[in-house]
Amino acid sequence: MAFVEFVDVCKTYQMGDVEVRAVDGMSFSIERGELVVIVGPSGAGKTTVLNMLGGMDSATSGTITLDGREISGMGERELTQYRRHDIGFVFQFYNLVQNLTALENVELASQICRDPLPADEVLAQVGLASRRDNFPAQLSGGEQQRVAIARALAKNPKLVLADEPTGALDYQTGKQILGLLQDTCRNGGRTVAIVTHNLAFTQIADRVIHVREGRADRIERNAHPADASVVEW
Amino acid sequence: MTAFSKTIVRSIRGSLGRFLAIMGIVALGCGFFAGLQMCGPDMRAAAHELYSGTNAYDIRVVSTLGFGENDVERVRAIEGIGQVMPVTSCDAMARLGSEQMAVRMSSLSMDAAKGAVVRDANVILSDDGAYLNRVFLREGRWPRKADECVLEADKPIEDVGVGSRIEVLSSTSDLDDVLRKRSFKVVGLVSSSIYPYTGSFGSTTLGSGMIGAYLYVASSAFVKDMPYTELYASVEGAHRHESGSDAYDEVVDEVRRRLEDKGDVLADERLADVRKDAQDELDEKRADYEEERADALDELDDAKRKLKDARKELDDAQEKIDQGEKDYAEGTRTYEDSRADAYAKLDDAQATLDSSYTQLVESGAELDFARAQLEDGTFAYEEGVAQLLVEVGASSLDEARAQLAEGQRQADEGVAQATSALDSVDELIAGLEELEAHEQAFLQGLASVGVEAASVAEAQTALDGTIAYLEAMGAPEEQVAPLREARTSSDELVVARSQLEAGRTQLLSSLAAQGLSVHDEREAKELLETRLAEAREAQAQVSAGFEGIARLDAAAEELARAREQLADGEWQLEDGWNQLEAGQDELNARSEDAERELADAERKLDDAREELESGKADLKSGTEEYESSNAEYEDAREEAEEKLADAERKLDDAQKDIDEIEAPDVYVLDRSQNEGMLTYDADSRRMDSIADVFPFIFFLVAALVALTTMTRMVEDDRIELGTYKALGYTTARIASKYLVYAGAAGAVGAFLGILALSQVLPFIVTSAYSIIYTVPLHPFPLPIDLPIALLSGGLGVGVTLVATWAAVVSSLRETPATLMLPRAPAPGKRILLERVKPVWRRLSFSWKVTCRNMFRYKRRLAMTVVGISGCTALLLVGFGLHDSIWDIIDCQYGPIIHYDTTIVLDDDAKARDVKDVVRLLEKTGEVSGIVRLQQENMQAGTRNNDETIRVQVVVPQDERELADVITLQNRLTGEKIPFDGDSVVITEKLSLKYGLSAGDEILLYDQDTIGNAVGDGHALTVTGIAENYVGNLVYVGGDAWRTVDEEEPVYSALFATTTADDEVRADVAEELRETGKVSTVVFSDETINLYRNMLSVVDMVVVLLIVSAGALAFIVLYNLTNINIGERVREIASLKVLGFTRQEVYAYIFREIFLLAIIGDALGMVFGTWLETFVAVTAEVDYVMFGRTIHPMSYAYAFVLTIVFCALIMFAMRRKLDRVNMVESLKSVD
Repeated sequence: MAFVEFVDVCKTYQMGDVEVRAVDGMSFSIERGELVVIVGPSGAGKTTVLNMLGGMDSATSGTITLDGREISGMGERELTQYRRHDIGFVFQFYNLVQNLTALENVELASQICRDPLPADEVLAQVGLASRRDNFPAQLSGGEQQRVAIARALAKNPKLVLADEPTGALDYQTGKQILGLLQDTCRNGGRTVAIVTHNLAFTQIADRVIHVREGRADRIERNAHPADASVVEW
Repeated sequence: MTAFSKTIVRSIRGSLGRFLAIMGIVALGCGFFAGLQMCGPDMRAAAHELYSGTNAYDIRVVSTLGFGENDVERVRAIEGIGQVMPVTSCDAMARLGSEQMAVRMSSLSMDAAKGAVVRDANVILSDDGAYLNRVFLREGRWPRKADECVLEADKPIEDVGVGSRIEVLSSTSDLDDVLRKRSFKVVGLVSSSIYPYTGSFGSTTLGSGMIGAYLYVASSAFVKDMPYTELYASVEGAHRHESGSDAYDEVVDEVRRRLEDKGDVLADERLADVRKDAQDELDEKRADYEEERADALDELDDAKRKLKDARKELDDAQEKIDQGEKDYAEGTRTYEDSRADAYAKLDDAQATLDSSYTQLVESGAELDFARAQLEDGTFAYEEGVAQLLVEVGASSLDEARAQLAEGQRQADEGVAQATSALDSVDELIAGLEELEAHEQAFLQGLASVGVEAASVAEAQTALDGTIAYLEAMGAPEEQVAPLREARTSSDELVVARSQLEAGRTQLLSSLAAQGLSVHDEREAKELLETRLAEAREAQAQVSAGFEGIARLDAAAEELARAREQLADGEWQLEDGWNQLEAGQDELNARSEDAERELADAERKLDDAREELESGKADLKSGTEEYESSNAEYEDAREEAEEKLADAERKLDDAQKDIDEIEAPDVYVLDRSQNEGMLTYDADSRRMDSIADVFPFIFFLVAALVALTTMTRMVEDDRIELGTYKALGYTTARIASKYLVYAGAAGAVGAFLGILALSQVLPFIVTSAYSIIYTVPLHPFPLPIDLPIALLSGGLGVGVTLVATWAAVVSSLRETPATLMLPRAPAPGKRILLERVKPVWRRLSFSWKVTCRNMFRYKRRLAMTVVGISGCTALLLVGFGLHDSIWDIIDCQYGPIIHYDTTIVLDDDAKARDVKDVVRLLEKTGEVSGIVRLQQENMQAGTRNNDETIRVQVVVPQDERELADVITLQNRLTGEKIPFDGDSVVITEKLSLKYGLSAGDEILLYDQDTIGNAVGDGHALTVTGIAENYVGNLVYVGGDAWRTVDEEEPVYSALFATTTADDEVRADVAEELRETGKVSTVVFSDETINLYRNMLSVVDMVVVLLIVSAGALAFIVLYNLTNINIGERVREIASLKVLGFTRQEVYAYIFREIFLLAIIGDALGMVFGTWLETFVAVTAEVDYVMFGRTIHPMSYAYAFVLTIVFCALIMFAMRRKLDRVNMVESLKSVD
C-alpha cells in the first residue's frame, strides 16, 4: 500500500441551487519519501485535493489514506489531530503570526505536537539562525517562507504540503524555496507534496500528478528529477 | 440612488454585527442618559398629575392663633390667590390597634368629599372649587358623625381597618379644648395627595417627632369655637406649571411673597379679631359680674347699716353707763372728800383746842419760873452795889462815879506828857546819828584824795594847808577846785554839829524842868518810857471802875422790865383759859351736824350704784347680741368679698390674658415645606444628579466602540478607499460614507434607545419609589422630554461621528497608491515582559502572542478596559449601594444602638412618674439595662450657616451609663469616644453637613411648633464625632446641658432592652400605656422593618444596574471579539490548519480578551468604589448616613459577575470562531 492513497475521491459543494463537483473521482497514490508536484490549471480541483489531503476538508465520497490511516472518514476532532501531528503546511502567503518572532512562529507549531524537532535547529536548517528573533514584518518574503517551511518541518510531520509556495515570491527566491523543499525531501527523507499551476516545477518532482477537471488526468514518475537550482520558468 | 449610496446600504447589510454594535452602544448610552434624566422629570410629572388632579394646595398659611372666617376672606382677597380651604387640625398621640403613635387629624368637608367623583388614579372631580387637597376614598365610606373618621390607607397599620376604633390619648394642649370626642371609629380608608411619602407624614412635636398616620374627621369632631388651624390656598395659574418647576415656583413665590408681605397685617387683624371676640365675651361676663356684685354689695350694706344702728344704740347705752359710772365715782369721791374734810376740820379744831390747853399749862409754869428768877436777880443786884461801894470807897453810886472821873483825867494827862517828851528825845537821837554818818562820809572822801584826818576839824586844817600849797605852787585850777569844795562842805558840817548840840542842851533843860534830871538823852528816854507805862496802868483801873457801875445799872433796868412782863403774863393766862372753854363747846356742836350730813350722802350713792349695775347688765346682753350678729355679718361679707375678689381676679386674669395675646406668627408655607412633597421632589432631584454621572460611562464606551469599529471598517475598506480616491472622490465625500454609516447606526441606536429606555427606566425607578411614595405611576406612554432626548441623541450620535471622523481621517490622508496596497500588518512589538527571560521563555507561544497582542491595539485596549471597568463599576455601585443601605440597619442596630426599646413619658411627667415607670419595668423581669435620658427635639446649625437641621438632643442622666446603650466611636478607627459631663458628641452626618470637627462650635436652637428654629441658639463646643447612620443626634453631658437649660431635666426617656418575645412586648407596652404617663413605646424592630421596607427600593435599582452592566459588557466584548476575529481570520485559519484544537483556538483569541477584561475588572473596582461613594452621598437624605464601606463580598460579586459576563459572551462568540473556514488561510491577503 502506498504512503498516500486517493481512491475515487469526490467532493461536491452546494453553491445555492447549483451543485459544484470540485473533485470528481480522483485517484492517485504517493510513496513515502517522494517529492510530489500536483499541477493543474486554475479551477481544476488541485486546491480541493490539497484541502482534503491536509485534513482541512473532508471528501464527499471515496477514500483517502495516509500511512495506512483512513482520513476520509475522520470526524472533526480526528482531523484536527491529524493536521496537528501528521501534516506540515506551507502557505502561499506564509501565514506567519505577525506578533511572534521567527523562532516563536516555529515553536508555535512544535509546541503542539508529540515529537517535534528543536525549533532553533530547524530554523538553522532553513538558514535563518541569525534571524530567529526577528518579527515577520522584519523579514523578506523568502525569509518568511523559509520560516513557514521551518514551521512545517518542526512538527516532524509525515507529509509536508505546500500550496503555491513560491506564488508570492520573485523568481530567484522562489527557486531557493523550491530548493529548500527539495532538500527537505532528499536529505530529510520527508514526503513533500507541492500544489502549483507552474509546470516548470514538475522537473524536480519524483512524481507528478496532473489534475484536470477534478480528476488525476495523468500521473508521471521522474526517474531523475532535476535539481531545483537548474529549473527555469 | 447613486452607486455610492448603494455601497453604504450594502456595507450596512454586509456588516450588520458592526452596525448593531455601534447602534447598541449608542442606544444604551443615549437610552440610559435620556432614561435616567427623565426619571426625575417623570417623577415630577407624575406628582404634578396627582397634585393638580387632586387640587393640591400651593400655599399653606399657618398662624399661632389660628384663623377665623374673616381671615379666610382676607386671604381669599389677596391677588393671585385662587381658592382658600380652611382646615382645623391637630396632632395627637393616639392608639391604633396595638400601636401608639402621633397622628394628624384634619377636618374635611364631608359634603365636598361625598360630592366629588374619582375619575382616575390622579384626578378627582368636584363641583366645589374650594375643595382642595382632594382625598381618594379607597375603602368604606365617608364619616357621617362626629365620632367617625377615615384613616390613611397608604401605610397600613397592623390590625387596623374599617371598623376599628382609634383612641385619642393626648396632645400638646388640653384635648378638651380641641376635640369633642376621644374615640373615633374608622369608617373608611383614604389616600391624600399631600401626604405622598409613607416614610413620614410630617413632623410633629409629639412622640417620636414623626406623624405615623393621618386621618380625616368631620369638622363637628372639633369643639365648637375651635379656630381654623391652617388655610390651604391655591394660586391662580400655578397648576398650569409643573409642581416644583421654576415657572411654578415663580408664580407661587410671587403670591407667597405678597402673602408674606401681608403677613403682619393678617397677624394684626387676626389679633384684633381674637381680642375682640374674647373681649366681647369677657365684657359680657364682666357685666354679669358687676350686676351680681352690686346685688351682693347692697345686701351687705343693708346688713351693715342695721348693725351700725345697733352699735350706735349700744354705744349710747354704754355712754350713759359710762356717764353714770363717772357721776357715781365723782359722787363717791365728793362724798369721801367732804367726809374727810369734815373730820379733818373737826380734828383740827380739837387739836387747836388741845394745843391751847397745853400752852396755857406751860405758860402758867413759865410764869412761876420767871417770878423765882426775878427774886434771885433783885438779890444779886443789891449784893453788887454793896461790893462796889466798898471797892470805891463811896457811899453811893453817884459819888463813886465822880471819883472815878477824876482819876481818869489825871491818868490821861500823865500819858500825854510822857508821850510828847519821848518824841523829842527820839528826834534828837536821830539827828545825831545822821550827822555822824555825814562826817564819816566826808572823811572817807578826803581819804580818797589823799588827805588823812581823824576828825572834821583836823581835816579842815589839812585842807587849808593843801589848798594853800597848791595855790602857791600855782597848780592848775581844776586840781584845786575839789579841794576848795571839800573845804566848804566841812564848814557846813561844823555848823550842823553846833546846831544839834544846842538842841540837846535845850531839851535836857526842859526835862529837868519837869522833874527829870538826866545826864543825856539816852537815860531820858528810859525814864520817860517807864513813866508812860505807869500812866497807862492808871487809865486801866479807872476803866474797870466804870464798867462795874455800868453793869449794875443794866441789871437794875432788867429787873424792872422782868417784873413788868411777869405781871402781863399772868393776865394773859387768865384770858386763855376762858377762851379754851368756849371753843370746846362750839366744836362739839359742829361735829354732830357733820355726822348727820354724811349719812345722808352715803344713802344717795348706794341708790345710784344699784341703778348703774342694772344698766350694765342690759348693755352686756345687748353687746353680746350685737357681737354675734356682727360676726355673722363679717363672715358673710368676707365670703362675699372673697368670692367677688376671686371673680374679679379671674376677670382680670382673663383681661390680662386678652391684653397679653400677642400678634400671632403667621407662616406662609408652600409645597417645599411639606415633608412628603419635599422628600419626593428631593428624591427626583437626586435622580437627576445620579443621571448626570452614570451615562458618562456609556458615552465614553460608545465613543470607543465607534472608534475601534470604524477604524477596523476603514482598514477593511482600504483598497476601496484608494479606489474612490483614485476615481476622484473628495476626502469629505469618502468620509461621508463612514460618517453616514456611523451616524445612521448612532441615530437608529439613539432613537431606539431613547424610545425604549425613556419608558423602561423611569418605570423601574418610579415603581421602586412607589414602595415609599403614594404618587401613582405615570400612565404609559411616559412623556418624552424632547430637550433631553435631543441632547442625549445628539451626544450619542455626535460622539460616534467624532470617533468615526478620527478613524477615517488618518487613513484618508494616505495617497491612493498606498491605500491600494494591503496595509502592512501592524508589526509585532516586543513588550516589557520579554526582558524577564526566564519567565518569557517558559511561556508558550500562545501566551506570548496574547501578551503581545494585548498591547498591539491601544484603542481596543482602551475600549475594553473602559467598558469592562464601567461594567464592574456599575455592578459595584449596585452591590455597594445595597451594602451602604443595609448597613444603615446592620451598623446602627447592634454595633451602635444596643437598646431595642425606647419609652418616652409625657411632656409634663415628673421625676416621680419616671421612677414609677422604671419600677414597673423592673418588676416585669422582661426588661433590662434601663438607662434614663432626656430627649429634646431641637434645630442645629452653625454661626456661618443659616440653614438649620432637625436634631435629637440626648442628655443621659448618668454619663457613664450611656455606653451601656449606645457606643460612641470613631467610624474609621473604631476608637471609643469618651463621654462625661462636659462632652458634646455629634453624629457623623451632622458633622459632614456643617463641616464640623472636635473643638468647633455648634448652635442648638429651640424650635416652635412648625419646626422653625427660634432664638439665638445655644453655643456648645463639639468634643467628638460619633459613627451613626440613622438620624442626627447630639449627645450632651449634664454639665454642658446646663449651659443650654439651667433647669434640671426630668430625664423622661428610657432606653432599655426587652425580651424579643412579641407577646411579652405587647404586654409590657400595654402595661406602660395603662399608667397614662407614657407617650411613646417604640421597639427598634418596628423601625428596622420600616427601613427594610423603604430600602427595598434600592434592590430594584441594583437589578437595573446589573442588567445595564451586563449590556455594557456584552456590547464591548462582542465588539472587541468581533473585531479581533475579523482581523485575525487568516491567523485563526492558519492555526486551525496547523492542527490547533478548538480550545487552543479559543484560548488564542479569548485569553487576550479575558486578560483585558480582568484588567478592566480590576480598574472597575477602583472606579466603582469612587462612583458608589458619589452615588451614595448624592442619594443620602439629611437624616440618614449610608454605610461608607463596600463589603468584600460585593467586590467579589462585582468581580466575578463581570468575569461571568465575559465568559458568557465568549461562550457565545465561540461559534463565530468555529465558523472560521480554514480555506481562508489559503486566500491571498486581499
